[in-house]
Amino acid sequence: MVKKKSDVYSVEIYGTKDIEKTETGDTDKKYKDLKGNKKKKKTEELKKELDLDDHQLSPSDLEEKYGTNISKGLSSARAAEILARDGPNALTPPKSTPEIVKFLKQMVGGFSILLWIGAVCSWISFGIQLAQGAESPFDNLYLGVVLALVVILTGIFAYYQEAKSTNIMASFSKMIPQQALVIRDAQKKELPADKLVVGDIVEIKGGDRIPADIRLISAQGCKVDNSSLTGESEPQSRSCDFTHENPLETKNIVFYSTTCVEGTATGIVINTGDRTIIGRIASLASRVGNEKTPIAIEIEHFVYLVAGVAISIGVLFFIISISLRYKILDSIIFLIGIIVANVPEGLLATVTVSLSLTAKRMAKKNCLVKNLEAVETLGSTSIICSDKTGTLTQNRMTVAHLWFDNQIYSADTSEDQISQPFDQSSPSWTALSKIVTLCNRAEFAPGQENHPIMKRVVVGDASETALLKFAEVILGDVMNIRARNKKVAEIPFNSTNKFQLSIHETEDPNDKRFLLVMKGAPERILERCSTIMINGKEEPLDSEKAEAFQTAYMELGGMGERVLGFCHLYLPENEFPDTYPFDTDSMNFPTSNLCFVGLLSMIDPPRSTVPDAVSKCRSAGIKVIMVTGDHPITAKAIAKSVGIISATSETVEDIAKRLNIPVEQVNRREATAAVVNGMELKDMSLQQLDEILCNHSEIVFARTSPQQKLIIVEGCQRQGAVVAVTGDGVNDSPALKKADIGIAMGIAGSDAAKNAADMVLLDDNFASIVTGVEEGRLIFDNLKKTIAYTLTKNIAELCPFLIYIIASIPLPIGTITILFIDLGTDIIPSVALAYEKAESDIMNRRPRNKRKDRLVNEQLAVYSYLHIGIMQSIGAFVTYFTVYAEQGFLPSTLLGVRVKWEDSYINDFEDSYGQEWTKYQRLYLQWTGYTAFFVSITIQQVADLIIRKTRRNSIFQQGLFRNKVIWVGIFSQIGIALILTYGLGHVTALNFTPLRFQYWFVAVPFAILIWVYDEVRKLLIRRYPGSWWDKNMYY
Amino acid sequence: MATLNEKKTCSERMENFRRFVWNPETKLFMGRSLINWVWISLYYLAFYVVMSGLFALSIYCLMRTVNPYEPDYQDQLKSPGVTLRPDVYGDRGLRIYYNVSDNKTWEGLVTTLRTFLEAYTPAAQHLNINCTSDTYFFQETFDGPNKTKLSCKFTSDMLQNCSGITDPTFGYPEGKPCFIIKMNRIIKFLPGNGTAPRVDCTYVGDESHPLEVDYYPVNGTFNLHYFPYYGKKAQPSYSNPLVAVKFLNITRNVEVKIVCKIIGAGITFDNVHDPYEGKVEFKLKIED
Repeated sequence: MVKKKSDVYSVEIYGTKDIEKTETGDTDKKYKDLKGNKKKKKTEELKKELDLDDHQLSPSDLEEKYGTNISKGLSSARAAEILARDGPNALTPPKSTPEIVKFLKQMVGGFSILLWIGAVCSWISFGIQLAQGAESPFDNLYLGVVLALVVILTGIFAYYQEAKSTNIMASFSKMIPQQALVIRDAQKKELPADKLVVGDIVEIKGGDRIPADIRLISAQGCKVDNSSLTGESEPQSRSCDFTHENPLETKNIVFYSTTCVEGTATGIVINTGDRTIIGRIASLASRVGNEKTPIAIEIEHFVYLVAGVAISIGVLFFIISISLRYKILDSIIFLIGIIVANVPEGLLATVTVSLSLTAKRMAKKNCLVKNLEAVETLGSTSIICSDKTGTLTQNRMTVAHLWFDNQIYSADTSEDQISQPFDQSSPSWTALSKIVTLCNRAEFAPGQENHPIMKRVVVGDASETALLKFAEVILGDVMNIRARNKKVAEIPFNSTNKFQLSIHETEDPNDKRFLLVMKGAPERILERCSTIMINGKEEPLDSEKAEAFQTAYMELGGMGERVLGFCHLYLPENEFPDTYPFDTDSMNFPTSNLCFVGLLSMIDPPRSTVPDAVSKCRSAGIKVIMVTGDHPITAKAIAKSVGIISATSETVEDIAKRLNIPVEQVNRREATAAVVNGMELKDMSLQQLDEILCNHSEIVFARTSPQQKLIIVEGCQRQGAVVAVTGDGVNDSPALKKADIGIAMGIAGSDAAKNAADMVLLDDNFASIVTGVEEGRLIFDNLKKTIAYTLTKNIAELCPFLIYIIASIPLPIGTITILFIDLGTDIIPSVALAYEKAESDIMNRRPRNKRKDRLVNEQLAVYSYLHIGIMQSIGAFVTYFTVYAEQGFLPSTLLGVRVKWEDSYINDFEDSYGQEWTKYQRLYLQWTGYTAFFVSITIQQVADLIIRKTRRNSIFQQGLFRNKVIWVGIFSQIGIALILTYGLGHVTALNFTPLRFQYWFVAVPFAILIWVYDEVRKLLIRRYPGSWWDKNMYY
Repeated sequence: MATLNEKKTCSERMENFRRFVWNPETKLFMGRSLINWVWISLYYLAFYVVMSGLFALSIYCLMRTVNPYEPDYQDQLKSPGVTLRPDVYGDRGLRIYYNVSDNKTWEGLVTTLRTFLEAYTPAAQHLNINCTSDTYFFQETFDGPNKTKLSCKFTSDMLQNCSGITDPTFGYPEGKPCFIIKMNRIIKFLPGNGTAPRVDCTYVGDESHPLEVDYYPVNGTFNLHYFPYYGKKAQPSYSNPLVAVKFLNITRNVEVKIVCKIIGAGITFDNVHDPYEGKVEFKLKIED
């Protein structure tokens, strides 16, 4: 026992040792570089700080050391002093970037730099024009201001969105302030736990979370659950005795954030906040670098792509315009136009909105997303390392099987059982149920009569709780039964006896016999029995029956269940009259030759939704790996029952057993499943781990320490997988942080885990992860659509400038007008695409390969820019030429006209019909051209929006009306365009004019062309999968 | 993740790029095999040929639908613009400065006028007919040669003292300069509603000191028989009627601001955005 514990100890506290070992032993250089030496130094620090001797001191020495008094506690004044010195007793949340830095990052990130360049160029040209005394230099000043405003506003917007989702988390973690019972000024006080200081005298009782590191000075039956610290699932007893040199193993110290399961204790606070053991481990988590999320990488890639296009076209045309002998000033203005046309100003805001819409939708389904970008990460997840307890299972012991009358019965283990279906007619069951009811110290906490049985709070340990609830479901009011069968004597369970015994009066008034009931470890119980009950009759326990018992016991144990044996004895009335003084110390009553009644086995059963969720993950190409601190047998049993290990697959051990050969001779490749023990893992090299992760599709890691979880996660990441990790303990936090997406449990999770995680499952339910995966994949697909939609019109905005420079026609569309498209008409439709339903079963395809399946791939950019974009430009130019022609300037007249057209000294400019135009009349016509161009882009964007609903399916397969938001988008688009042209058409600064109504329809044939072309594209893709067309046209 | 975050050195990046341009193992040029490049180029060639065809077709249809004689709409041409000759521009609009004693300062101005009036010599106007009626010259039919309509003659001699015939220096050396006011052509525009529109020049702002002006032709009117204009195709030899103004009492060495409006029904000069609609403003300074 001691040996085992010291293993745990060494793994846990020098938890980084494992990491270090991998570092030094690692041939992978990158890995080492990634971590750096900082961590080692920190580990040294950790080791040093562990020089704790408080457990060796006597209470009086402690009083002296901390200047406190065990009975009176600290004085409030002194406590305040120490609080001021040490700070509050809370873990410092991981250092967050200062708000202002976050804000500034939004201002310079993404396209903002390009737009700043645009704005600065505008101001420069304003300056030059002002110096030259030109007529209307202020246009450029305004343009620069508008561009700067766009950057600032979108920055503020993105910042606000980001902050909002962070705030959700902040409020979440502050929901339940912890309280602690402290003795101060000789009075007991309830204080918020973060006000505790070193030297405080604290009382803890069963159910409390330990508020700090505490040296116990008195304890009654105190047990603590150290699982969040060490991963041991069994509660451990604590007393005030100094039992071990090592502070972590001595019984007289309890640690911050662990829970007291039962009993009471009083102790002196010896460490608070970050100086607690947990605090030191948690601070390790913050050292694990936060990786960029896959979607962030994708968006960065996309920004580079668009910025690259913008800059290269901009520079190219800057050079062209200079070599065409344009003035430098004009060339700069062209450059601004090209940049503004190329940058989808509204897109990043749209992406943020889409992500936060998905985040909201996920929150409704109990996935709370901390970091907006993590929304998509789940979608690209290829491996989920799931915790067992609480995530896959219900986290409560439940009776799963019974054995009586030589037969195994299964019990219902679902979450909301109201009755048990197995055969209850046998008199043996009546006897067994009586033992289960009576030989049980657990009780329902009062005042929950209206709650469903399964939800009621029980005082007692896990197995007794399970038995109590089981009995309550079948028999009804257990407390009443107990009252009718008065308990006269009781021996509680202890680890030497391994049984629990009680003696009761019977409820039958005519039967004066006492009933002795006993339960405990099956082999111990059997030893004490000479008969066995079969169908209500006591029969001698012969070797055949003992064999049957053994078989049943092995079978139940083999399912990873905790088995209890039950036996009873009616004490003869003559020997034990009702006045008989039972003495539990001398045991003046028989404890052997009892009658064996049956076995009950219990397990923490899987949640009913989990098997389905696991199979969904399977079909979605996601590997589910179970990582648990539990026994391999239990872990394997649960893994089998939820489908992590499928029914047909075998482990190496299974094959060995089946073929009856030694384990070493089994071809490891034949086994699809593997159950790896934490002990084995410890001795494994990284290559061996990689081999296991590669070769087996179904893996269970059992008996692992949370630190090993980190190694497993890193192993998976070395395979190039996007790894999701679930966890709840403080010690999981490094793994949660290391994972591409850390998922913390909302109910069972510790604050440290929640802090380290990117996502919180509010219902601790694995099935919620599947919903998350689905939403993540959907948003990835939909973002593709959004980006494709947005990029398309960039060409229609860019072409005017290019043609304007090359062909010297009057400018077809102004910079301000472009901004009205990018930030006006296009915003709502592109958000609407986020509401699009999936085209096919997205849960039936493999997770995307993060190196190959880019968000914006070549096909998407090429198809948007060079196909649909070109069509849009043509449509818009036809409208432009129509407007000019019908007003007097035929296309042939327009070519090469730029210089004279823009000359404000020419006020009798002749058109194709011989009419003469003043400068302002031409300018007004130019604005009409802008408006016409704007309107035709808008009209064609409607077609673009409709075609972007699907990437592969026909619009008719997808349904035009299933996504109502798309229609909101279309109507808003047209509505905004109508308001701009007719409502604001007289505000000259906006460059819109009330357009003749028929010009709205010039581009309609081109809109239809776009739609037909795309339908043909999709048809060919569906018809000829894998063809040249499919490869080049599917984005 | 580790591999994705890998920092590449510059030479590695260059190497990667070179491999992208030409990968000798897979024989891929810029990520495609050569035959693939041929296919994709052919596709784009075809695609753009079709697109250009569609564009050409659209423009062809457009040209078929527009009227060759007059535009479908004249939304911007509700009221004609007015221009001035000589037209020298300063910082803000027209600004004519000259020195009577320095003929270099006004010779350019005089040349401008002379060149402008070359289009109004009898030789240049020989295709046009003499009109005498003082009403609009409506023509429903094409009476001119080659399916055109007739235009009325306007010759520079109608400008009398400002014609450059009697005074080749247009009065500049005397400090009584001539300016020519031209009204922009607008198809089928009927100015004045039956009364001939006339030019009226005044000082801007300073009302106390009336500006003495001689208008040519008399009263500074545009005769109605020059209207309506039927467009370049119908009236290829049409030339705008002109009005010359001669300022007689410009104070020397002072910059004066003068506005010449065209008074007549249908001609507006109060558009705040358009300084040349229905009027022309200019600064004038004559130095000794």
